[in-house]
Amino acid sequence: MRAMIVKEFRELRRDRRTLAMLIAMPLLLLVIFGYAANFKVSTVKAAVVGPQATQVAAALPSSFFDVTVTQPSDRQADAERMLQDRTVNVAIVTGRAPVLALVDGSNLFASQSIVSVLNKEGNKVSTQILFNPELKTSWVMVPAIIGLILTFIGTIVTSIGLVRERETGTLEQLAVMPIKPSTVILGKISPYFLVAAIDLSIITGLGMLLFGVPFNGNAFVFSLGAALFLFVVLGIGVFISTVSQTAGQAIQTAFLFTLPQILLSGVIFPLDSMAAGVRWIGYLLPLTYFTMISQGVMLRGASLGSLWLPFLVLAVMAAVVFLGATLRFRRDLAPGRRRHRSTVAVEPAAASTGGQARGAS
Amino acid sequence: MTYAVRSATVRFGDTLALDDVSLQVEPGSVVAVVGGDGAGKTTLLRSLVGKVQLARGEVNAPAPEGIGYMPATGGSWSSLSVAQNMDFVGGIYGLSGKALVSRRDQLLERASLGHSVDRLASQLSGGMRRKLGFSMAMLHDPALLVLDEPSTGVDPVSRVDLWRLVSEAAAAGAAVVMSTTYLDEAERAASLLALDSGRTLASGTLTDVLGSFGGAIARTASPRRRAWAWRRGREYHEYWPTALDVPFDAVAVTPDLEDVVVTLSMLKQHESELAS
Amino acid sequence: MNPAAAGAVHRPVLLAADRVSRKFGAFTAVDDVTLHVMPGEVVGLLGANGAGKTTLMRMLLGVLATTVGEVELFGDPPDRERRRRLGYTPQGLGLYDDLTVRENLAFSAQAYEVSPPELPEALRPVADRLIAEIPLGLQRQVAFLSALSHDPEVLVLDEPTSGVDALARATLWDTIREQAEKGVGVLVSTHNMAEAEQCDRLLLMSNARLVAQGSEADIIGSTTAVAVRTSAWARAFAALSAAGQPVMLAGRDVRVADADADQVRKVLADAGVTAEVTGVPATIEERMMALARAPEGP
Repeated sequence: MRAMIVKEFRELRRDRRTLAMLIAMPLLLLVIFGYAANFKVSTVKAAVVGPQATQVAAALPSSFFDVTVTQPSDRQADAERMLQDRTVNVAIVTGRAPVLALVDGSNLFASQSIVSVLNKEGNKVSTQILFNPELKTSWVMVPAIIGLILTFIGTIVTSIGLVRERETGTLEQLAVMPIKPSTVILGKISPYFLVAAIDLSIITGLGMLLFGVPFNGNAFVFSLGAALFLFVVLGIGVFISTVSQTAGQAIQTAFLFTLPQILLSGVIFPLDSMAAGVRWIGYLLPLTYFTMISQGVMLRGASLGSLWLPFLVLAVMAAVVFLGATLRFRRDLAPGRRRHRSTVAVEPAAASTGGQARGAS
Repeated sequence: MTYAVRSATVRFGDTLALDDVSLQVEPGSVVAVVGGDGAGKTTLLRSLVGKVQLARGEVNAPAPEGIGYMPATGGSWSSLSVAQNMDFVGGIYGLSGKALVSRRDQLLERASLGHSVDRLASQLSGGMRRKLGFSMAMLHDPALLVLDEPSTGVDPVSRVDLWRLVSEAAAAGAAVVMSTTYLDEAERAASLLALDSGRTLASGTLTDVLGSFGGAIARTASPRRRAWAWRRGREYHEYWPTALDVPFDAVAVTPDLEDVVVTLSMLKQHESELAS
Repeated sequence: MNPAAAGAVHRPVLLAADRVSRKFGAFTAVDDVTLHVMPGEVVGLLGANGAGKTTLMRMLLGVLATTVGEVELFGDPPDRERRRRLGYTPQGLGLYDDLTVRENLAFSAQAYEVSPPELPEALRPVADRLIAEIPLGLQRQVAFLSALSHDPEVLVLDEPTSGVDALARATLWDTIREQAEKGVGVLVSTHNMAEAEQCDRLLLMSNARLVAQGSEADIIGSTTAVAVRTSAWARAFAALSAAGQPVMLAGRDVRVADADADQVRKVLADAGVTAEVTGVPATIEERMMALARAPEGP
């Protein structure tokens, strides 16, 4: 019995990835929960439009409302567009009594804070929540979960698929065959891309059906964002496979990568309320940007133009990740090429294979 | 005290892994079980050590503490060092302290692993790893040593080393059963058992097996019956039922173990083809 | 050099390595190796594990870069296109366990852009079984078939008969020799010294270097062995082993590799064993044992 315990400890000591999971993961979770978990929103961006814009803007408690836009010449339609583009979280339309506050319902925690603050003003302000009138959590979660599921499929399944070549020893054979490394990668991820795309359609459909989540925007924009995001996560899956020797390691690494995304991409805890020290991690994660796209398109009907940032970031990530993965994969599959060429001088073999002594001895 | 497996029959689902196979081994000798993949070698060895239930037949073997078993996979843990592997096994069999250390060091020295005690098993070459597995099986000085394909995939020098270790173990009084795909190892054993698809092709001492071979083997550059010939070096060996059948342009040779095993396999294949 | 050969037809060299070395950090895996393979010949590559055989093969194939020296495949550095004319079976078979025999062959055929080969009789009954479910002998046959499917001009085989029974081994070697007769050049590595006699030429590697080339006699070189015949073989064995001699059993004979007959006689005499002691030519294994004990030996 003691022998068994000692052996397991010794093996564990050498298994760095499991150790990382057992020790680093809890530490990470503690830090995240400590600094990131914050359901309270302390400030929101506001716009004020209408004839009394300037006065009302001054009257708003500046501790909570960060007024970034004051446009007396704009009307309600302009205010609605600003919310759709997520330029601000709340737009106040003056020139009517009571003053109308339009709130972006797709930003759940911000809206809840805004509503509770504005309610204190009583009859002076009438609040209207756009995009998610009942402030349903599911409406905000479903678009985010779509991204989460794609992340799972992308990273975990792909990393196993490629590591399998290494495990079965067929990687060597592939290296010798007349197949280009890029062909291998693309050929391997295509089935997963297709499966993920089908999964995406099913989940989106189901989400809409079961929870009544709307789809107010352009399906093309949504698909484009999804395709781009898939590329990123699949590329990460390929990359994980190039640094893993076994399927077990690949799954562990994929998990180590996916878990922070669940917690830090703004799906559960709003990005805006995270401590700055932790928030920057969120901005590095692809899921953060896809969630911006999926929530924007489904709930707010946002346009491609207003979503330029997440699209750009995802495109850059896709390019970087794929480049990195291909280069690493090439290392496994193809040789470093020697610069100069010269023909090997070989004397014709002697008639008998008595063999002239060649080579060092 | 002869250890043995008598008339063993083993089934795995629909497959007949062993069909009426018998094996016996005396202390101080080495018995080789030879055959290819799927012949039933591993099943037979596992029956001997009690890991496989027999559908029919009986086994006569010492209690688990008296058996040392080395599986075909080598039996060592990759992420432990040589010394740690040995210590683990020692702990299992209740060896500890100075007795463990001295026995461990002695075995590792004999296996030429004395300089690699702190190297991880995964960093050892194939041959060295097998020698480690052997040392682990020998640690508790078993009466019966069972080794499953210790030499497959191992380089010639390590194979000789392994054979030396096996011979020393037998010389010290253990009964050793080892399975192998190498016929020269079978030739060196006190007795051998050749298996094919769960059935016995031949058994006994080398002299018995060669002596009881009925038939003639001829060396020729152009075999008459391709289905009964196989390459040896530049020419072929061809099987003929009797010496009289050997054609004039072929030379009769004294059959060696490879000739006998190949011929018996061919005959068996022919039989099953006729039967089906 | 033979003056007649200077005017003789220069047969194309299929595979060549010229003073090739490969280092991994401080470790030298292959040291200054020169070799070539011509059409129609079977070249056997022998050596202990860790001697550098697989690293050398990978450089010849062009999947590993050389640190020093040049490698040529059909006269030029190996690349993907040139490898179309090459067939390779790695140590681990290179087959997909979770695909059937037919599916594996189809994949390989598509990769090389040829039509899948016809199945020989032995493989027809298992054509639609998963590779993982068929015995090793048949697996190796499939690997072979896959390597031959695109009519390669050169074959590189890494331990193709390991773990396989005598009959299956003979069948595989039949195929190898058939290919050689067709003009294919074959480089095959093996641990089974009995297969050495099937090769036209042998290469012996030890500790990253090529220490011998040529026929079996060339490989054995001047290494000798001592054969001890006695009825007290167990005691002789024990005495010689205790004296640190590289001793092994061959039948009931005791053989000592690379030893001095007089020294052997002395050890036996000291142990009180009477025996017939004779110097004999060594086997290839005994040459390798001698090399293992004295790496710089000739």
